[in-house]
Amino acid sequence: MSNISRRNFVMTAAAGSLLAPAGLRTALGADEVLKVGVIHQGAIADTGWEYFQAQAWRSLDKAFPGKVKVTVLENITQTQDAERLFRQLSTQDHRLIFGTTFSHFASLKKLAPTLKKSVFECCAGIEASDNLGVFEARHYEGTYLTGIAAGRMTKSNILGWVGAFPVPQVIYSLNAFMLGARSVNPNATLKIVWVNAWVDPGKEKDGVAALVAQGADVISGSPNTPVQGLAAEEKGVWAIGSTGDFSAYVKKGQLTSFELDWSAAHIEAARAVMAGDWKPSTRWRGLGPGGFVKMTTNNPDLPQNVVAEMKAAETAIVDGKLNPFKGPIKDQNGVQKVAANAVIPDAELKGMNWLVDGVQGKLPSAG
Amino acid sequence: MIDGAIGILVATVVAGTPLVYAALGELVTERSGVLNLGVEGMMLCGAVSGFAVAMMTGSVWQGVGAAMVVGAGVAFLFGVLAISLKANQVAVGLALAIFGTGLSSFIGKKYVGQAIVLEPSALSVAVGKLPLVGPLLGQLHPLVWLSWVLLGAVSYFLYRTRTGLVLRAVGESPRSAYAIGYKVVRIRYLATLFGGAMAGVGGAYISLVYTSLWTEGLVAGRGWIAVGLVVFATWRPGRCLLGAYLFGGVTTAQLFAQGAGARVPTELMSALPYLATIIVLVLISRDATLIRLNVPASLGKPFHAEN
Repeated sequence: MSNISRRNFVMTAAAGSLLAPAGLRTALGADEVLKVGVIHQGAIADTGWEYFQAQAWRSLDKAFPGKVKVTVLENITQTQDAERLFRQLSTQDHRLIFGTTFSHFASLKKLAPTLKKSVFECCAGIEASDNLGVFEARHYEGTYLTGIAAGRMTKSNILGWVGAFPVPQVIYSLNAFMLGARSVNPNATLKIVWVNAWVDPGKEKDGVAALVAQGADVISGSPNTPVQGLAAEEKGVWAIGSTGDFSAYVKKGQLTSFELDWSAAHIEAARAVMAGDWKPSTRWRGLGPGGFVKMTTNNPDLPQNVVAEMKAAETAIVDGKLNPFKGPIKDQNGVQKVAANAVIPDAELKGMNWLVDGVQGKLPSAG
Repeated sequence: MIDGAIGILVATVVAGTPLVYAALGELVTERSGVLNLGVEGMMLCGAVSGFAVAMMTGSVWQGVGAAMVVGAGVAFLFGVLAISLKANQVAVGLALAIFGTGLSSFIGKKYVGQAIVLEPSALSVAVGKLPLVGPLLGQLHPLVWLSWVLLGAVSYFLYRTRTGLVLRAVGESPRSAYAIGYKVVRIRYLATLFGGAMAGVGGAYISLVYTSLWTEGLVAGRGWIAVGLVVFATWRPGRCLLGAYLFGGVTTAQLFAQGAGARVPTELMSALPYLATIIVLVLISRDATLIRLNVPASLGKPFHAEN
């Protein structure tokens, strides 16, 4: 006689539920509607990070009219709430679910193995797993181009960067900005201030003032609001809309900008789930068609030859002829980190923790 | 060099001003024996309503007026719960901070990421032309000048007027004040409303002058610093102003130091205002007389008139 204890029962049931959905990754029927779930950490605004995420799922309706139904939950600030909602979306038959920040990746890595009915895609993350895909932008291709504009337009040869946190994504962005500027102006230098917040407009504005006081005349960073651009404009220096086109607010002072466009990631994932051939992948893309980085508005005062120079570099990057992180590259202390003609491998870029020659601030960890 | 120093000075005052408003308001509230920890929430509600009204009317001053009304309105809610219904003040204050954060996000939804462009007023331009002090004062918004007037007014009110004395008496011993015929509940309400109104102005200063835009959580913890500042200042208005500029100065000085390439541990610098509050708290707690002289004796205790 078998003795079914409660523990045994729970374990058997759990094992069964893990095995059962393995065959569920099948194509959708012709008249079936794909339910897509998206969780936003912040509120959807008219520009900035959450806006780009929203533009991506909005593109699904246009790409598959009548074939998708998107459930959007915004302003889910707490990770615990996000986890609960990810689980809820999955149990409510959302076959494709998007996480929109790096902090969602940690939750999804934990949740995805238990929610086999759904396929997850996270914007920013470390690695793909069985039913969790990851996509991220090569921001540095955008900052390299804006760096060219900055290098050409600076009169003091001092550029400024308002940094949120010294994480690799920010570090490679500002390194590429410096490399872009140096590619046209070998005398350019870059000063950094860290505000230690993703969004604290007050501190960001003070950061711009501090950089301008040190002589910086082109200010970049990774802003989510127009505040850095407005502050730069007020001080009479150039601002760069790095990951956000703020020209609607910063009418005179924004030199150039680029935005993030995740629609390709969303559309490809939805198409694959509909066809039943979705596979986990890590997509890391920059400029070019189907890419995640798009150059946007240029200031009318940006000379045409500089625009052409940026355009040429963009084409070269898209064609694979130019890699911003191609050696020789020295670090701040003049030590050669990348040999001539070598490039920094992706895995190393994703953990970048040193600053290139010409950058004058310090990484807090090195302090 | 001089330019750099003036730059730091101006940035310090600009960064410290929202704290001056919120802390002076909270100081008056606490002097009446009411501990309202909801400053962050009131500031956020003030910031968003000030921004919304200024967007609609194009006038900073109407925005500031709206922020005062809304800040006082949120404080009134606190009064109903904590003064009339005698709920625990700490709990209500914390709830108010969270409620205010949510409410401001809700109201401000359609304004997120928008910016307001304000021309300097004729008055600022005129002041900027004054000899000697003009170039410095002209860089500061009239709201900054008003914060100095507010300091004078609060100091005068608390220490030089009869009503101020009554307010302090209510904070020290509401029972005695009640026994000799003062309306404790009404006085506490008025002090709380004043605190809310000033928190609202502090918030509006952030959204209208400091950053000129609205985004969620714009106040970014400054309401909590204001609460800490009142303790830091040992409930004295003058020290409140100094403390506010000190805290503002720490923030801006570290940014300037970073820009200059100095090696500063930025995480530690960001934590410094909070650390300073804790140290002052420990220092004044060690000295019993200092506490007796400064802390309103009935701070945080509900007042029951009946028994």
